[in-house]
Order: sequence, then structure tokens, then C-alpha cells
Amino acid sequence: MGVSFVKVYKANCNELFLDNMVNENLVKDVVKEPYKYGFITDIETEKIAKGLNEDIIRLISEKKEEPKYLLDFRLKAFKKWQKMEEPDWAGLGYKKIDYQDIIYYSAPKQKEKISSLEEVDPKLLETFDKLGIPLTEQKKLTNVAVDAVFDSVSIATTFREELAEHGVIFCSISEAVKNHSDLIEKYLGTVVPASDNYFAALNSAVFSDGSFVYIPKGVTCPMDLSSYFRINSGDSGQFERTLIIAEESSSVSYLEGCTAPMFDTNTLHAAVVELIALDDASIKYSTVQNWYAGDEAGVGGIFNFVTKRGKCLGKRSKISWSQVETGSAITWKYPSCLLLGEESVGEFYSVALTNNLQKADTGTKMIHIGPKTKSTIVSKGISAGNSINSYRGLVKMGTKAAGSRNYSQCDSMLIGDQASANTFPYIKSQQPNSEIEHEASTCRISEDQLFYLQSRGIEFEEAVSMMVSGFCRDVFNQLPMEFAAEADKLLALKLEGSVG
Amino acid sequence: MEIIEKIKKYKLTVEQTEIQKICLHKLQSSPLPNPKSELWRLSNKSKFSNFLDFSLNEKDLEFDTPYPNTSQSIIRLVIGENCQTKLIEEDYSIQQLSEEELDKYIKEQISYFDQNENWSNLLNLSLSCKKNILGLKIKGSKIPPIEIFSHASSKSLSAKTLVIFLEKNCNLELLQVNLGKQKSSLSQSTFFFLEENSSLNHGVVSYGKNGSNLLNSLNVIQKSNSAYNLGSLHFKFNYARFEINIKQSEGNAKTNIKSMQITKNDEQISTYTKIDFNGPNGFLDQINKSLADDKSHAIFEGSIIVPKIAQKTDASQLSRNLLLSDLAQIDTKPQLEIIADDVKCKHGATISQLNEEELFYMRTRGITLAEASKLQLSSYFQEIISFIPVSKDRWDLLDKLLNEN
Repeated sequence: MGVSFVKVYKANCNELFLDNMVNENLVKDVVKEPYKYGFITDIETEKIAKGLNEDIIRLISEKKEEPKYLLDFRLKAFKKWQKMEEPDWAGLGYKKIDYQDIIYYSAPKQKEKISSLEEVDPKLLETFDKLGIPLTEQKKLTNVAVDAVFDSVSIATTFREELAEHGVIFCSISEAVKNHSDLIEKYLGTVVPASDNYFAALNSAVFSDGSFVYIPKGVTCPMDLSSYFRINSGDSGQFERTLIIAEESSSVSYLEGCTAPMFDTNTLHAAVVELIALDDASIKYSTVQNWYAGDEAGVGGIFNFVTKRGKCLGKRSKISWSQVETGSAITWKYPSCLLLGEESVGEFYSVALTNNLQKADTGTKMIHIGPKTKSTIVSKGISAGNSINSYRGLVKMGTKAAGSRNYSQCDSMLIGDQASANTFPYIKSQQPNSEIEHEASTCRISEDQLFYLQSRGIEFEEAVSMMVSGFCRDVFNQLPMEFAAEADKLLALKLEGSVG
Repeated sequence: MEIIEKIKKYKLTVEQTEIQKICLHKLQSSPLPNPKSELWRLSNKSKFSNFLDFSLNEKDLEFDTPYPNTSQSIIRLVIGENCQTKLIEEDYSIQQLSEEELDKYIKEQISYFDQNENWSNLLNLSLSCKKNILGLKIKGSKIPPIEIFSHASSKSLSAKTLVIFLEKNCNLELLQVNLGKQKSSLSQSTFFFLEENSSLNHGVVSYGKNGSNLLNSLNVIQKSNSAYNLGSLHFKFNYARFEINIKQSEGNAKTNIKSMQITKNDEQISTYTKIDFNGPNGFLDQINKSLADDKSHAIFEGSIIVPKIAQKTDASQLSRNLLLSDLAQIDTKPQLEIIADDVKCKHGATISQLNEEELFYMRTRGITLAEASKLQLSSYFQEIISFIPVSKDRWDLLDKLLNEN
């Protein structure tokens, strides 16, 4: 790590005291680190024809041997999607997506049933190894169960037996459809209905795989669960669906990571995540998103249009979203909480870093419906290069949300004078007996602070990292231990050096 | 489309000016504002159509202007009445803008208009006849305070336009009063142009009566080293929209805004502000306060735009809201759009009700709940009211706010 940076730094350090501008250039150099996960795995895949119509949906459903209710769910969503218009209110200005030019199902060819990891194509294992994802269960020290999704299908889930001992179900959603059909039928689409928005409808029609988690009553999940998404083929979209159900008094921490190879075309990723927390349950959902962001000229990269929503159904339930967004050409996501249960709690902690021509429009929605509900929003945006980084959030107090509270804080850091940072908080209250507080600020890496740190013998690279790390500390503190390391690594890729 | 037909029909009988023709033409391409746009999304549709529903013929032209002008030191102007204004004194001069000057300036403004953002101005300028446009050029110092009145006339939709040029090094205190009548609509557009080193303390008091509507648009262009201070108050309107567009055209200017809206019954009052920093070293301090009671709806949307050129901008925006009833609602959306990196920008928003601890404290001291609430409200109002120039000595605004329903 850091080889290319060291070169840049050494080339520049002599001039450091000669030219004030160098400081700024250095900061820019620091954020220019090539994408490390851009390799393509040469593996035989099974793809269906391009395009989207009812037959394709039937074919996907057939390939996955799905029951009829799920096919109906897909077809209904497809009909709704056809009637919907692609939204453009965020003004992201991307080239129109040709939905008929996407492959909606792509799977690595392998033996039909995998009974153990040894049967997984070694190339696949190698891929995940390269990404630093421990699929082989020898690496038990990490104590994280992983569900790895490659293009459209889940290829392996680790630690299943141990989880099963506690009654925890952690598998791919296709498997859950076969083995836990009752739960799927009961909960699928209850948090994000098929007609929720354009991309959610599309996902509901064509979703290929994803993870399913069920934590039974009173169980604290013994280890962190993690899913890792990898897009490998350039012409297939990824439409995964995640469903997490936490029964009464249970708790789980779920981690999600994603990467993709470099292509000069844009790939669509439209996922849906649904979380359900019953009485006294708590779900912590952490994401480190590092899809390929396109090159410096903005060619290629993933369109990350994701719908994530959690429903705090039960009393005193809690859903906490934390995310580190560093990749994707365009990120368009608002992990939200529907706070229905009395005294339920919603949290959102986010760091979004954009560089070059990346655009991130991200934030959260906290919908307070039940009484005495509480929510906290902490969002940190860092924009560099020519990127656009927006926080867009909604806090709504419904008429029955008496005694509810919200606190939001959005800070932006600008690196260079070409990047833009926007804040759009929507606040709506219909309940006098509730309190909403929002604050936002904008700053930049201050020369004074840099100078101070450097005068104390701290190298420039480290000084920038320290300041960025300090800026993001509120959010990093919320990441689970096992994940913090990876988050650090990912942020460091863009901001080089030892962030954190 | 109806409104256009109405204007056209009405204009057949009245001579149409060139400006009216241009605006009417522009309106034809978008006869009504886009209800999906952020600026109009929350606007109550039936109330808005009620606003447009009145006849364009002004019926009664008699006004009962409150607070007769007893003070000699205050200049009072009523838009629609004073056709000739010319005051040339030793230290200052107040002159009417010539028709050419007015035409040129308004046309220039229209060329920058966006159909959606400036819909209120387009409507105003296509309705405003010559008589209802007041244009002034003000020069000098030691200028006595000015009060400018715009009246609605009952059962009609009337439009009044005010254009003021403030010359270099000129300091002025100006109170603008928009008075609603029962069942009436008033469209008021104001254009200020502040030259270098000038300063304007501007007060806007919009005071409605039952069932009155108001579309109030304020457009300010500030040259460098100018200072613009605004204190505004909107209350008792069935439907009111206050749009503030401020552009610091060269930066290096100061803007202070303290605005307040009070809604009761089923009223809807909204404030939209857009502050554009078009040069370095700009300064903004803005606070908007809303109070919503009964079944009313108060809205605030404020955007601050800081492009690359506007380095060293220092802008802060605060939205403070009191929600006093279960059926009332408040929407607020302060927003920042920043590209320049060396800036200090922040915003904040709060929504709550009266502070219970303070109420309790006062009650333990023998003050009744009603009085204690009034005391709290008066401190909430006072910050804004004391910022409104001219009025503070003579206008019992606080009393009006606390005691009238």
C-alpha cells in the first residue's frame, strides 16, 4: 500500500516549502489512488440473453426453481415498473440507461449443489482471497460468517453449522426461498414494497440473489454476519436482495462489502435491503461500498442505485445503519428507518468520499410514526476532484410521534476548489410535542492545521490522514471492530496512508 | 391557462405596456408553476387557485391606512397613488425613475428570469399597469425614513411593483407595508439595486385580513461593500408566499436577514430564500422563525449557493420553528450548495414547542399559563421585530401578534 503515493510525495516534498500551491496539489495527489480491485476473474459463466420482458423474469424464476407466489411477486413488480418513470429529481445527469441492454442473470458455472467449500471453483475462492475475504473456514480467527455473492448468485456461506446451533439462519435468499418459504412469503416486500420506487420495482422483478438472515427470539448472534458482493461481468447488472429479520429480544450485526472490476461501460447495481426488528430487537447494518468508480475522466463505473430501509416494528427496537461510501460512479441511496414501535431507535452514520467525477447523493430518511421514538443522523461528506457530494435527508414527525426526538449533523469537507458539497435536509413536523435539531457545516483541510502537524515532524501524508480520520471519527467509532479495519483500508485506498 | 385568458381579456380594455406583453408571452409557455418543483411542491393547491380566482379589476380604491402619518420626518408613499415624486434637498434626493430607465432595468431583470423560480415576478409584471409601478432613485445621506404601502383591494387580484436604485454611499431606512383586505389577492414584486458602499435597512410587514392572499417577491442585487439588512414579518394571510432572491453580484457584501411568519387557523404562509454569492468575501447571517398554530402550515426553504468564485464566503442560516398544535405542520429545508473550498458555511434547524421548564418556572412564580406563554412568545418575536426599521417606535406589532387572532 502506498507505493505510488510515496513516489508522488518524494517528487513533491522538495518543493513543499517553495510553493504554497504544492500543499493543495499534494492533497489532490493523496486522493488519487488507482482502484485496486479492478481485476476480472476469468471464469466460465452462465448468462441469459440481454433484455427485460416477462419471459426473462419467468426464466430467472424457473432457473431458481421458485414457488408461484414469488413469480407472481416478480411479475406484479414488473408490471408496476413498466408504468413508472425513471426519477431525475436528484439531477445526477447520467446517460440514460438502456434496460434492454443489460443481462439480468449471470452465474459462475459450477456443480449444481455445493456440499462443502472444497467444491467451489478454486478460481472463485482465489478471487475472494484476492479481495481479502476469508471464505475458507480455516480462517476462523476472524470470527465473521460470510455469504459471498458473485454476479447474480451466492457462491458460499461460511460458518453455517455454528450459526445453526444458535438457531440463526444465514443463507442466500434463493436457499431461503426453498427452505424457509414461510418467512420469505411473510416478510418479503413488506418494508420496501415493489412499487416503492423505480429501482426497487426493477429489483423486485429481477432480483437474482442476496442474503437472508433470521435471528430467533432471544438470540444474540454469536458472530458478525457479512456478505460480500462482487460484480464480475461487465454487461450484467447486479440486483441482489437482502432480508434480515430480528425476532423479539434478538440482536445481530451485519456487514456488507462490495467491489467490481474496471470496465469502461457503466454497470447498474440496484439492490434492495429490508430489515425488520421486532420488540427489543436490534440490527446493526454496516456497509463499506467500494464499487469501481470509473476512471479520472469519468468513464465507466457502477451506478449504485440502492433502496435500503429498516422497519422498527417492535417496541424498543433499534436499527442502526453505518456506511462508508467510497466507490461507484454514481451513488444514490438513502438507508432509512421507519420508526413504528414505541421508543424505537433509528441511527444513521455515514462517511461518503467522492473524487474525480464521482457523484454521491446519499442520506437517510427517519420517519417517526410511533411515540417516543428517537433518531440520530451523523453524516460526513468529503469531496475532492470534480466530484459532487450531496447529503439529502428527510426527518418526519408524524401526528402520533409524541415525545419523539431527532438530532442530525451533516458536515462536509472540501478538497480543492472544483468539488462541490451540498446539503438538502428536509424536515417536516406534525407533532408539537417532539423535537428536531439539525445542523450542518462545511470546512476544508486547513493549512494551519497541516502546517502545525508538519512542524511537529508528522509527514504530510499522515497529517492529511489524521485530519480526515478526525473528521470521520464520529462515524468510524460506530463501525464494528471486525469491519473498522476494512473500512480503514478502503478509505485509505483513496486517501492513502494510515487513516484511523 | 385560465389566468392568462383572464389577463388577456382584462387587458383588452386597458392599454398594455411592452413589459406586460413580454411577461405574458413568457407566462404562456408555463401558465402555472410546476407543482412538482421544489419551490411549489408544498404550496396548497386549492389556496393557490383561490389566489388567482379574483377579478383583475380593482374595485374599491379607498384605503384605510393604519397609523396616520403624524411624523413630519417620515416620508410616506402609497403605490398606485403617488405618480410624481421628486424631493431634492441639500443632503439627499429622491426622484422617480424615468420610464426609459424603468423599462430598461425591468427588461434586463426579465432576461434572467427562470419560468419556475420567477413565476411570481412574471405574473406581477404582466399584471402591473404603469400606475402601479413605483420606481425611485435615491441618493445622498441623512435621508429621512421612508414608508411604502401596497394595498390589496377587496374581491380582486391586484399587482404592485416597486423598483429602487440606491446610489453609491447612500444609507436608507425603508419600511414596506403590504396590507391585505378581506377576500383579496395581492401580488407584490420588489426590485432593489444597491450600488457600492450603500446600505439599506429594509423592513417588510405584511399584514393580512381574513381570507387575504399574498404573493410577495423580493429581489435584491448587491454591489460590493453594500449592506442589506432585512427584517420581515408575515401574518394573518389565508395564503402567503414570500420569495427572497438576493444576489451579491461581486461579493464583498453583507446581508442580514431576520424573517418571521406566523400562521393560525388554516392559513399557509411560506418563505423561500435564495442567496447567491457571486464573488469572494460575501457575508450572510440569516434567521427564519415560524410559528404554526391550529390547523395551519408554515414552510421555510432557504438555499445558499456558493460557486467557485465565492471564496472566503461566511454564511450561516438558521431556521427556528415553534409548532403549537397537534393539527398544524411545519416544513423546513435549509440547504447549502457549495463549490468554493475556503468558506465557512453552516446551517441549522430546530422544531419544537414552547419550553416547558421555562413555563413551569414562571408558573411557580404566580404567572398564569396564558401569560407565561405570551411572555415566551414575545421574546421569540422580539428578536425579529426589533430588527424591522421605522416601525419599532410607532407600530405596536408585538401587541398585534400577541393579542389578535
